[in-house]
Amino acid sequence: MQFTSESVEALVEQFTKLPTIGRKTAQRLANYILKMDEEAVEKIAEALLAVKRKVQRCSTCHVVADRDPCPICSDSKRDPSTICVVEESSDLLAIERTGEYRGRYHVLGGVISPLDGVGPDDLRIRELARRIDPDFASDGDPPPLDAVDADPDGEGLSGGSPSGASATTAGAAGDPGADASPKDASPEERSNGADASSSEDADEGRVNEVILAVNPNVEGDTTAYYISQLLEPFDVSVTRIARGLPIGGDLEYADEATLSRALEGRGDV
Amino acid sequence: MILRSLRLRSFRAHAETGLEFAPKVNLLYGPNGAGKTNVLEAVHYLCLTKSFTASTDRYAVREGAPYFEVEGTVAGVREAPVDVRIVYVPSEGKKVFVNGAPLDRLAEIVGMLPVVVFSPEDYDLTAGGPSERRRFVNNILSQARPVYMDDLLKYRRARKQRNEVLRQYKGRRESPPSSVLKPWTEEIVAIGSRVIQQRHDFLNTFSDYLTDAYRRIEAVAEKPSIEYDTVADVEDLRAAGATTEAESGPPASREAVAAAFRDALDRKRGSEERRGTTLAGPQRDELVFRLDDLEVRRYGSQGQHRTFGMALKLAQFFYLRDRADTDPLLLLDDAFGKLDRRRTDVFLQLLASDDVGQSLITATQHRSFAEALDFETSAHRAFRVDRVEQKARVRPADGGTWDDRAATDIEAGTPDDRDVVPDS
Repeated sequence: MQFTSESVEALVEQFTKLPTIGRKTAQRLANYILKMDEEAVEKIAEALLAVKRKVQRCSTCHVVADRDPCPICSDSKRDPSTICVVEESSDLLAIERTGEYRGRYHVLGGVISPLDGVGPDDLRIRELARRIDPDFASDGDPPPLDAVDADPDGEGLSGGSPSGASATTAGAAGDPGADASPKDASPEERSNGADASSSEDADEGRVNEVILAVNPNVEGDTTAYYISQLLEPFDVSVTRIARGLPIGGDLEYADEATLSRALEGRGDV
Repeated sequence: MILRSLRLRSFRAHAETGLEFAPKVNLLYGPNGAGKTNVLEAVHYLCLTKSFTASTDRYAVREGAPYFEVEGTVAGVREAPVDVRIVYVPSEGKKVFVNGAPLDRLAEIVGMLPVVVFSPEDYDLTAGGPSERRRFVNNILSQARPVYMDDLLKYRRARKQRNEVLRQYKGRRESPPSSVLKPWTEEIVAIGSRVIQQRHDFLNTFSDYLTDAYRRIEAVAEKPSIEYDTVADVEDLRAAGATTEAESGPPASREAVAAAFRDALDRKRGSEERRGTTLAGPQRDELVFRLDDLEVRRYGSQGQHRTFGMALKLAQFFYLRDRADTDPLLLLDDAFGKLDRRRTDVFLQLLASDDVGQSLITATQHRSFAEALDFETSAHRAFRVDRVEQKARVRPADGGTWDDRAATDIEAGTPDDRDVVPDS
């Protein structure tokens, strides 16, 4: 279709950048906007800008919020000893809607997926570890896991400082020195020295449980495994939400794979 | 299950075709390239959302048409007949509707309408590469156990992710750090050992079905067997498992399989890093078929390959029937073309018997079928498929009215009609 107006064409083009919006839908939206009151269009434009200008991320849990800390992190009635780890802010909202969870959250910003170019360092996993132990890679060192092992030349994902700098913290990571590259500085050093710091702090603000509420797919499984390994040295219990049948769903109509898994993961009555 | 009727719209050579099937044998005969196999493919789309040939969905759309649609009415699956429809639009993909309601996932239909295909390509089951045999096992298990297909798809995804890690670090000429690779290793070990375990347990049960099936078509007292080669010796898996029963199939323990898989990956680690890909796991499984001590792949005669291939498919039929509690639909695509007279007769008798359910057969001629089966009864039906004005035309041809033109047409052959698949 040809447009006689370049502004309309430009608007259509912008709409097609949004997910699930194809060219036809974009044209429909643009035509609709043409017919709307200017006032109403202004409101849309303002709302669009507001989410970019006003909304920020909570510096503790990284949920999108209008203020930092977010209402959940600043709510003293929420139990700080439990952290529920979710992929995105929308997952947090889903769990909030249950009204059953009274702990705090941590938003990862995705899951590990090499095919999408997302490695552990692209997620807020280090930030999670620091909430459990503030000493964890605290001085802005390269991420404790890979940087030392994988990235002696500092050219990888993290772009951090050369190896060795994080010697004391790296050992706290899930898999101490099992695969140190030849260039790496003494793995034994790294594996020792780390465990001491975590138990020192007063119990106030201590995290006892990390609940992994990631999706039950391949990437979610792997991310859960990664986090559980990373947190293993700490005195914190790491759990994962159950998978199975939806409540209100009829057993008869459940898809067989889900039903099989639910059967596999059955529990005592 | 009984496929009562089928409608094809813009599917390959068919612009618009409707068929009403008989409950037992349905013969589609006519010259090459007329669109007989297309009917079987359409049925296969309904059952498994894809063709049994290697071709892609895009080529299934009739040239110049925007989409294809196949609809069938199936009895004997639920209490009332079920209407299943699959629509494919190239830009939007496939959608399956059951009684008008769209399925959330295509995979949900798999197993509901069990199907077994016989074709000349079955020769490759025994003579071809290992992937043919894995495909065979995957096909049966996916239809029999939805959870298997779920595992298989997840395994492929996880392996792809792990390969990507290996590939990326290979590009940087570094070893992937354990913290990055190990989570993926554990994921493919967890899912892959479920796949292996299910294959192992399946093959234990399946070998009895194979022996039975082989006896039905071959009087000679050779005994067929299947050996499963996976990440570790099956014997080892058994030995490490909880049971120590002899031969007849103690299940492999999941832990034993996982440990063996993990070991295999450890051993291959160096090569994996050099080649940037995963080198152990169920994607490298192999099945070794034997007749007594003879390894069919290497030493089988042509006849033995054909018989073994048929026996495998027949065993698949009986296995699926027992799992699904309904007769799987049999699709025989030119399956008799290379069979000798004796085997053909044995097989046609089986198709007419009460031991199997409904079958759809394609052939270039009707003679040997007309002699063996009575198409005057309501149990069987024959269809004459022709190509008229670039379109497939299907007409019921009842016993008395065999179109004699068929025979001459066929002898002459009509090779130029074969290019029916759009090139787009």
